[in-house]
Amino acid sequence: MSAASIKESSATTPASEAPLLVVNDLKTYFKTDRGLVRAVDGVSFTLERGRTLGVVGESGSGKTVLSRSIMGLLPKRDVERSGSVKFEGVELVGADTSLMVEYWGDQMAMVFQDPMTSLNPVMRVGKQITEGLRQHLDISKDHANQTALALLSSVGIPEPERRLRQYPHEMSGGMRQRVMIAIAIACGPKLLFADEPTTALDVTVQAQILDLLQTQQRDRYMAMILVTHDLGVVAGRTDEIAVMYAGKVVEKAPTKVLFSNLRHPYTEALLSSIPKISDPSHTRLKTIGGRPPNLINPPSGCKFSPRCAYATDKCRTEEPPLSAPDSDGHQFSCWFPVELSAKQTAGVR
Amino acid sequence: MRDPLPDHGEELIHLMHDSEARSDVPADSVTQQFAAVSAGTVKAKRKGLPLGAWIAIGWMAILILAAILAPVLPIPDPINDANPLKAAQGPTLDHIFGLDGNGRDVFSRIIWGARNSLFIAFAAVITGFLIGGALGLISGYFKGRIGGVLGAITDILLAFPQLVLALAVVSFLGRTVFNVTMALAIVSIPILARITRASALSWSERDFVTAARAQGAGHIRTMLREILPNVLPAMLSIALLGIAVAIVAEASLSLVGAGVKPDVTTWGNVIFSGQAYIRDAPSMVLFPSMVIFFTVYALNYLGDVLRATFDVRESAL
Amino acid sequence: MPRTFTLKFLRLVLVVLVVTFITFGLTKLQPGDPVSKIIPFGTAQQKAELRTDLGLDKPFIAQYGKWLGNFVQGDFGKYYDSKQSVNTVIKTSLPVSLELMLYAQFFALLIAIPLGVTTAYRAGSKYDRGANATMFALLALPNFVVALLLAIYVGAKWQLLPTQSNVIPFPLNPLDNWTYMLMPVVALTLGQIAVYMRLLRSDMIATLQEDFITTAKAKGIPTRRILWRHALRPSSLTLLTVAGLNVGALIGGAIVVENVFGVPGLGKRITEAILAKQYPALQSYVAIIAILYVTVNFAIDILYSVLDPRIRNARSVA
Repeated sequence: MSAASIKESSATTPASEAPLLVVNDLKTYFKTDRGLVRAVDGVSFTLERGRTLGVVGESGSGKTVLSRSIMGLLPKRDVERSGSVKFEGVELVGADTSLMVEYWGDQMAMVFQDPMTSLNPVMRVGKQITEGLRQHLDISKDHANQTALALLSSVGIPEPERRLRQYPHEMSGGMRQRVMIAIAIACGPKLLFADEPTTALDVTVQAQILDLLQTQQRDRYMAMILVTHDLGVVAGRTDEIAVMYAGKVVEKAPTKVLFSNLRHPYTEALLSSIPKISDPSHTRLKTIGGRPPNLINPPSGCKFSPRCAYATDKCRTEEPPLSAPDSDGHQFSCWFPVELSAKQTAGVR
Repeated sequence: MRDPLPDHGEELIHLMHDSEARSDVPADSVTQQFAAVSAGTVKAKRKGLPLGAWIAIGWMAILILAAILAPVLPIPDPINDANPLKAAQGPTLDHIFGLDGNGRDVFSRIIWGARNSLFIAFAAVITGFLIGGALGLISGYFKGRIGGVLGAITDILLAFPQLVLALAVVSFLGRTVFNVTMALAIVSIPILARITRASALSWSERDFVTAARAQGAGHIRTMLREILPNVLPAMLSIALLGIAVAIVAEASLSLVGAGVKPDVTTWGNVIFSGQAYIRDAPSMVLFPSMVIFFTVYALNYLGDVLRATFDVRESAL
Repeated sequence: MPRTFTLKFLRLVLVVLVVTFITFGLTKLQPGDPVSKIIPFGTAQQKAELRTDLGLDKPFIAQYGKWLGNFVQGDFGKYYDSKQSVNTVIKTSLPVSLELMLYAQFFALLIAIPLGVTTAYRAGSKYDRGANATMFALLALPNFVVALLLAIYVGAKWQLLPTQSNVIPFPLNPLDNWTYMLMPVVALTLGQIAVYMRLLRSDMIATLQEDFITTAKAKGIPTRRILWRHALRPSSLTLLTVAGLNVGALIGGAIVVENVFGVPGLGKRITEAILAKQYPALQSYVAIIAILYVTVNFAIDILYSVLDPRIRNARSVA
């Protein structure tokens, strides 16, 4: 099951049998004064309903832009978006806003990074939930209020009736993020994006929010794309993981396969930069040397080569393609993939 | 920390920020004009001035030059070269802006008017700039009691209806160039004080100011050397707008019959004297109005360019 | 919360007191003797009698105290010569000024708000640049120029609307009232549109970059609703402040426009009082305008917390 759902998209699949989401060679470039920023540079994957994809990368790897680009939430000005995003067989790249409004909130929804700024500060929480409901579901005000109440309880907010009448600033960060999740799942979307949903929260709350997302995803049989910079976050919570670097997927595999058999040096570096409890105290935290790549004038060859310990001349001149999936559904783009021994030094169980 | 108890700390910071912004809210016509003018037309450029700025500078240069050279320019006298037989005439080849109700050349009167109007406006704003700037700098630097008292004085001055205040000052003290200038200066003092104060407040909290103090620099030295250079662009920018507003205010005073006496040619007086003839010779009102419009436009534009050039926040984007 | 409000209120009272006191002092600064102006050919004895009659022989503070006492009791004083009560003049001129102000504010906001919202949404487009440039030019157009242009063309040349005339009160004949009000209102409105539109536009552009706008978009809320329901309110604080202050400024501050069109409002009455050196009247007018100004300021403060619940909340915390 794990490998079967990730396959190359087939454009010929009829709409009724089409996978929920097929992303093919999606590119998203920003025109800036200093040049073209290739934030997303040819990403492809397929996602079925009920499954979770983790997208992992440093800041600037293009993971956030990828989720916004799939959903079509980017500004129109100075953005070039090409490739294909098919949702249940319907092409969304180039679709008109009037069409997208039907999908947003109803078919696909997003939980954003910072609950402190993502809720309207001058609108009551209840209104912010019912607004989307009434927009998409054509239900009465009372019905919408009842639904909002049920939603707040289901995301674990105590005293939901009182909370409905509050403004966002009267709530804590964790509460707000729960409200955000309630808003996102309100209309029963088939696809949920969670864009670094816990980065802005306190550590104690992070696990609660991630667990909540996971339960909701399972209960509602949604597909979920969980975007994060933290491999630890996606480890137990996703079916597949895509590691992004410089706008490209550099390694993609079912979660278990990735952690037991990682092949890309960047994935290795990401993993080893997570401090481990088993480390003796005062162990120096490993960091990835160098800076995230310049997306305007990216380095030639493999984009990770300037920061890669194993890089050779070949790496600096020729860009490795993303390999075809092996029997485990594992893909990576590296001329000299990490071998088993190296992987063990990285400390993977 | 955040989850169990709603944390109001952030909200308070927000509020402090808001009330800070609140004190910047334009309360008078000049700051209002300033806020509206600077609400993003000119974008900061890395190098060089936009073409519009050169046109504006050119217009102001011609105007100022003409005003200075008025006595030596080959133009008729604005007061005495009257020809009642040809009163209220439209533009002709001899008199390109026409003749006024007393048969005086409107073009010449506009140039002489520039001489007086620009003098009044510049002198008023320079006075306001010096006094208001000093008040604002001191009250922004000493935040305690001195700042509070000076801030209160500024507030009180702002609560006066400005045009009414100017009107009262001029009509009580006499319709002389000096009194009109002083009236407009009094009006511009609190405005410049406010802008300077707001700017000085934010700069006086920077680390380099603390550093200068720690190195033993006195209050006056710190104010003049560390804070003033940073506050100056904002002051200059609003001073340009202040000149524009003063020009309009001078004309407004004349229009209600409370400006400089009619025997001194100002733009306001040129328009005032033409008001009675608008049916027959609207050119008497139109030409000086146009000149005022272009001048105010040029000054607004230059003020905005200056603001954009020095606005660190915006150019960092 | 009540404490801060009390403090604020006391401050306002203080401002009004100081303003009126300074105005009072200013009227004494002036060289001419009002008594000589009222009865220029009166004998010395007549003049002294009148001086006593008007209370001008008393010390400055006593004069101010008397004026203040009367003012607080609603007696705004009399004109020297005609003995006309200032209250009567205010009763007829204040409604006219209020009407003028209301029309001007209404139309300015009616035009500026949609313009500000749509130009912010399409910031950088041709439409936006065009509207913005037009408004920048309007900012440089003094309202007396607009007033004179209207008086020249609409009034004098084409004779479409009356220029110098008494305003017919609205209840008597709405249509006549409007024909008289139209040009003064346009002259006052044009500049306000530019100010309001540009302030709203720049605040709105900032708001549209906020995260919660993206949230609303991701909910599938149509653009129109996002602009008007989500973005406008948090963007309107500056606009509200300026519009509020203009309520005060336009009452009695529309001096030039009222004079050009002969509108018998407070602005025109104030001008007349100043030119005729009618101190008691002027004194009361300035006090009324100062009170209006501070009251409006106070009201804006309260409205702030209505528009932004965060302020309301933090106030109660503080």
